This record gives sequence, structure tokens and C-alpha cells, in this order.
Amino acid sequence: MLAVHELEVRYGRVHAVRGVSLTLAEGEVVAVLGANGAGKSSLLRALLGLTRPCGGAVLFGGRDITRWPTSARVRDGLILVPEGRRIVMTLTIQENLLMGAFHRRDHRAVAAEIADIYDRFPHLAARRHHPASVLSGGEQQMLAIGRGLLARPRLMMLDEPSLGLSPKLSNEVFALIRRLNRENGQSILLVEQNTQRALELAGRAYVLELGRVVMEGAPERIVADHALQAAYLGRGTAERRGGGQHATSAS
Amino acid sequence: MLGSIYAMVAVALTLSIGVLRFLNFSIPGLFMIGGMTAWASLRGGLPWWLAIGAALLAGAFASLVVERFTWRWMRGAQEFVPLVSSMAFLLLFEHLAVICWGSELRTLPPLFANADWRIAGLVISVPQLVGLVASIALIWALTLGLARTRLGRGLRTIAEDSDTALLLGVEINHIVPVVFLISGLFAALAGVIFALNYRQVQPFMGEMVGLKGISAMIVGGMGSVWGSIAGGLIIGVVEVMSIGYFGADFVDIAVYGLLLLILCVRPTGLFAAAFAGQRA
Ligand SMILES: Nc1ncnc2c1ncn2[C@@H]1O[C@H](COP(=O)(O)OP(=O)(O)OP(=O)(O)O)[C@@H](O)[C@H]1O
Ligand SMILES: [Mg+2]
Repeated sequence: MLAVHELEVRYGRVHAVRGVSLTLAEGEVVAVLGANGAGKSSLLRALLGLTRPCGGAVLFGGRDITRWPTSARVRDGLILVPEGRRIVMTLTIQENLLMGAFHRRDHRAVAAEIADIYDRFPHLAARRHHPASVLSGGEQQMLAIGRGLLARPRLMMLDEPSLGLSPKLSNEVFALIRRLNRENGQSILLVEQNTQRALELAGRAYVLELGRVVMEGAPERIVADHALQAAYLGRGTAERRGGGQHATSAS
Repeated sequence: MLGSIYAMVAVALTLSIGVLRFLNFSIPGLFMIGGMTAWASLRGGLPWWLAIGAALLAGAFASLVVERFTWRWMRGAQEFVPLVSSMAFLLLFEHLAVICWGSELRTLPPLFANADWRIAGLVISVPQLVGLVASIALIWALTLGLARTRLGRGLRTIAEDSDTALLLGVEINHIVPVVFLISGLFAALAGVIFALNYRQVQPFMGEMVGLKGISAMIVGGMGSVWGSIAGGLIIGVVEVMSIGYFGADFVDIAVYGLLLLILCVRPTGLFAAAFAGQRA
């Protein structure tokens, strides 16, 4: 459903994404791993058209969307739950959810889906008419995912959803992502630095380093390669952040 | 009365600042276009309702021209570039008006033969009353629209973070002209109300009102719709009262003295809430 071909992103002299190719089939969870500055967010932003790639192509659902404006991609079901959640703090929780459905006209279905989300997250329901700034980090992440779901994603891209969350809350987020995939067949492109948890979820994974794909394949293979690299080259590719909060996958 | 005119100009400015972070200096020009088009149409023999329609149309159209040339082409340029070019538009509009209609003060005929109501000794001017009610109704409709509608949510999201709005699928390029359209209509209508009430127009009529509108916006708290309404009303009331107490020469001293005082005490303005935080 998603095919990325030789994508290039530059910011002036910074070459953030260098010829990245990846694929994702319907119903799959694919993880993109990499250290700070590896180009993960740049990749996702380019897929959504928030950053113009300077080379390569993006195919979504068989169509070349490389030059589409972001709003057209969103309408087509390519949805990003962005890094840092990007909740609109001055809107209420309810209004934030409605913003997820901004392009939809089926108001009844939207109302029903919002009710579902409130069932799932009673914390949000209780404060639906409060400004979103009252929410904790974990609640904000749930709201960001809920907002993403309201867009009716065919492919949901999540950029470091566990960032800044306690291990317990991270677990909840990962459990939610797993449920979305298992129960609803949601296709997911998951960017993470928490390598171990991401690899538990993903069917396949890519490892980015300095804008390039340096490894790809099944999680077991990545783990094995990774252990090898860590052992012989004395460096970890995927986890440098979090002060030990994110466990190392090399085991 | 004057207060509600300032408030409308301030709201037009606030919409632009709040949503686009753009201090649109062409708005006093749009105010003038509204007033002078109304005058020219009336002189041309149009009935009053057509004259008002023509004035609003002219203001809206001019505002979209400004959008086209200040905003769309210069996005991504330095922040002050649209500001400077909107100022250029103000001068352009003013001098076009001079070329078309001359620079002298023009007077409008009274619209209604007997425009005053006398109730229990009070004299109420009908155009003033209509102007006041119309501006309050419009501002009320705007705040309600911002608070309740899909477009309003989109605008408030852009105001807080346009990048987030973009990734949620908001078509900013389609919404920005709407902002210019609404603020153009507000400015032009304020100009029409001014023209019909004070029955005087000239090409530079926007500058004084624009300055007061900007002041109203700042005193109210930059970017807050309610703040600019309050700011406009405060300036209007102080102006009228200081004419009454001290005479016309002291008006601006009183008004701007008070503004300075308010800003010394509350540098963020009276209602420093973010534009996006407005709820009816
Ligand atoms: N808007 C920008 N302008 C200039 N350079 C940028 C911009 N955004 C990212 N970069 C640079 O591009 C490179 C890749 O950044 P990116 O944010 O994509 O990495 P990332 O893998 O998402 O990192 P993180 O794990 O910290 O989120 C970095 O060197 C970064 O400094
Ligand atoms: Mg990132």
C-alpha cells in the first residue's frame, strides 16, 4: 500500500534523508528505527508532504502522491501522529478530536467514533470540554492517537509515540498500537527509538543511520545484526536517548 | 458609536494578527475604500442599499488583492516583508482614491430625511443606532463562528500552530483568503458606517481610525477578539467624554495618555488571552 522509492530530503546543506526506499503492505506494522538525527521524522514529514522531498517518489494505494498537497494525502487516508503529539492546547479535547475529522463530512459517524474513543479513554471523556492543556503527557498521546483515528487512516504513521512517557505509559501506548493492528487491521508505520518494544510489535523493520537505510528485514534479523554490530563495532545504532529508560535490544 | 467603529477595525486587524501573525496595514485603506465607495455610489445615484453593497464588495475585492500580493507571494520571506508591502498597499489605495476622486473632504447627503428619533427627550440618531447594532451583531456572529464552526476550529488551530493545522489536513491556502475576506468586510463596513454617520469622507480617512484601531487592538491584548472590542469601546468612550470635558483639542492627549497608562500597568494589554483561546 505504501512504496517509497529513493527518497531524498535536504534542508539547505543538511542532507537528512538519503535515498530511502521502503515498502509497507496492507495490515502490516513496519518499524523505522534510528538514533537522534537519523532522519526518521524528516522521512515521515516528507511522506505527508510537510517537507518537500528533493528526489524520489512516494506511492500510496498504487498512486504517485509525491507532488500532492498534504490535505489531499490526509483525505486519502495517510495520517501522521506527529512527534511531540502536537495537541492544539487552546482547543478543547473534543475540538482536538474534531480537528482529526476536519476533512470529513459524515458528522454522524464522526460523533459515533468520538463516543468510541471516549469509551476507550475515560480520562479524556471526563474532561472533554476542557482545554487540552489540562492533560498529562500520556493522556495527550492518547488524544493524539484518537485524533489520528478520527481521520479514518488507511495508514497511520506514528512518530515516537512513547517519547517522554514513563515505562508504564509507554506500555499502554504500545498495547494500544498492537490492539489497533490486531483488532482493526490498521496498517502502521511506527518510528521509534525504543527499539525493543518497536521490534516486538513490528512485522518488519528498517534501521536508519544518517539518512540511509543500513538494515532492514524481520525483527529477529535486526536484533541479531544489531547484537553483532554492538559486539564487534562497539556502537549501538538505535538507542542513545532516554538515559537508560529505553532498554537495549541487544540481548 | 465611534467606539464600535474602532472595535470593528481592531477586530479586522486582530483576525489577521491572530490567525496569520500578520499586521495588515492595508486595513485602514480598506476602511477608506468602504467609506469612499459608499459616497461615490450615492453620488452616482445608487440607492443606499446598493451603495453599501458596492462598498463592501470593493473592500472585499481590495482585500483579496492584498492577500494575493502581500501574503501568497511573499510567504517564506522575512516576517516584515508582508508588513511593508501591506503598508505600500495603504498608500497605493489612498493615492488611487486621490486620483479618482480628489483629495478634498467630501460630504454625503443625509440618507434619511428625518433620521432622529425623539423618545422622552432623548435624541437618538437612526444611522448611529443601526451602525451600532450592525457592528455588534457582526462581531457577535464572528466570535460565535470562531467558537462553534469547523472553519472557526481550523482558524484557531492555524493561529496556534500552522504546521499542526497543515498535518491535520487543513487547507491553509484556501483558508487564508477567507481571513482576508472577513477582515476586509469588517474594515469596509466600518468605513461605510463611519461615512453614513459622520457624512464626511476623504482619501486619508483611514489613517486616524487605523491608528486608533491598532491602539484598540494592543490595549485589548494583541490577538484577542474580545480584547480588541473592549479596546475599541474604551477609546471611543474616552474620546467622547474628553471632548465633553476638555474640548476637542485634548481628545488625542486624553486617549493616548490613557493608552500609555494602561500599557505601563499591563504591558500585555487588558485581555492577554491568546486569540485561539477565544470561546463564546
Ligand atoms: N527544519 C529543519 N531545518 C534544518 N535541518 C533540519 C530540520 N529538521 C531536521 N533537520 C536536520 O535533519 C536531520 C534529521 O532530523 P530528523 O528530525 O529527521 O531526525 P530524527 O531521526 O527524527 O531524530 P529524533 O530522533 O531526534 O527525532 C538532523 O540532522 C536535523 O538536525
Ligand atoms: Mg524525530
